[in-house]
Amino acid sequence: MTTVYRIEIDRSLCSGFGACVDEAGDAFRLENGIAVAVASSTDPRVLAAADACPMGAITIIEEQVEEAA
Amino acid sequence: MRADPTFWLIARASGLTAYVLLTASVLAGLVLKSRPFRGLRPAAVADTHRFLALLGLGAIALHGATLLLDGTVHLTPVALIAPGASPYRRLPVGLGVLAAELMVLVYVSFALRRAIGTRNWRRLHWATYAIFAAATAHGLAAGTDTPQPWAFAIYLGAIGSVAAAAAWRSFAPPLTQPRRTAR
Repeated sequence: MTTVYRIEIDRSLCSGFGACVDEAGDAFRLENGIAVAVASSTDPRVLAAADACPMGAITIIEEQVEEAA
Repeated sequence: MRADPTFWLIARASGLTAYVLLTASVLAGLVLKSRPFRGLRPAAVADTHRFLALLGLGAIALHGATLLLDGTVHLTPVALIAPGASPYRRLPVGLGVLAAELMVLVYVSFALRRAIGTRNWRRLHWATYAIFAAATAHGLAAGTDTPQPWAFAIYLGAIGSVAAAAAWRSFAPPLTQPRRTAR
């Protein structure tokens, strides 16, 4: 089993602060001043990114995925 | 003839006003972080947090300027900039100067967060607790109104509310706890 972190960003809350990009630059980027998730990630730094968001705009959904045989 | 007390009165009032505004800004920051009132929009809370800090800095500027203009405690411009340079109540006044300078630094850091990195910005923001503690000690020990029950009540209320909000922040579950699903 692999843990995959699916990222949801509430665009109505995001202020474009950029803390998520600093914490996990591979998973987030800023587009027109609003954070977008690049993709689901296996990198636990996305949890730190969600915690660092001053607006609480990021939800992480932790999924257990069977690895391909 | 008795000296005009206007500047002295404004200096005392603006000092207490700055302290109340700093307290309110700290509380707004803690409300933003731990979200105890789900109905409040985070963007509005963030704006309020910054605006209260800016108003607080304005009150601090008025506090310093009127202390310079008033002759009661004979402060020099150097004593308003260098912590510990005031012969009058050296340590408490120095703590006030230090708190004000740190508060300017924290406020300005918001605009510089891209340059310094948001991680460093967050580390610097922890200084707010030290600023609040220094401002409290400054007010209690240097403020001539401290023995008055109403002034003491302001300090007690501020300490109690910030301690309660900080405890809430520490013990409340994080906002973005991961949800778990399996597939």
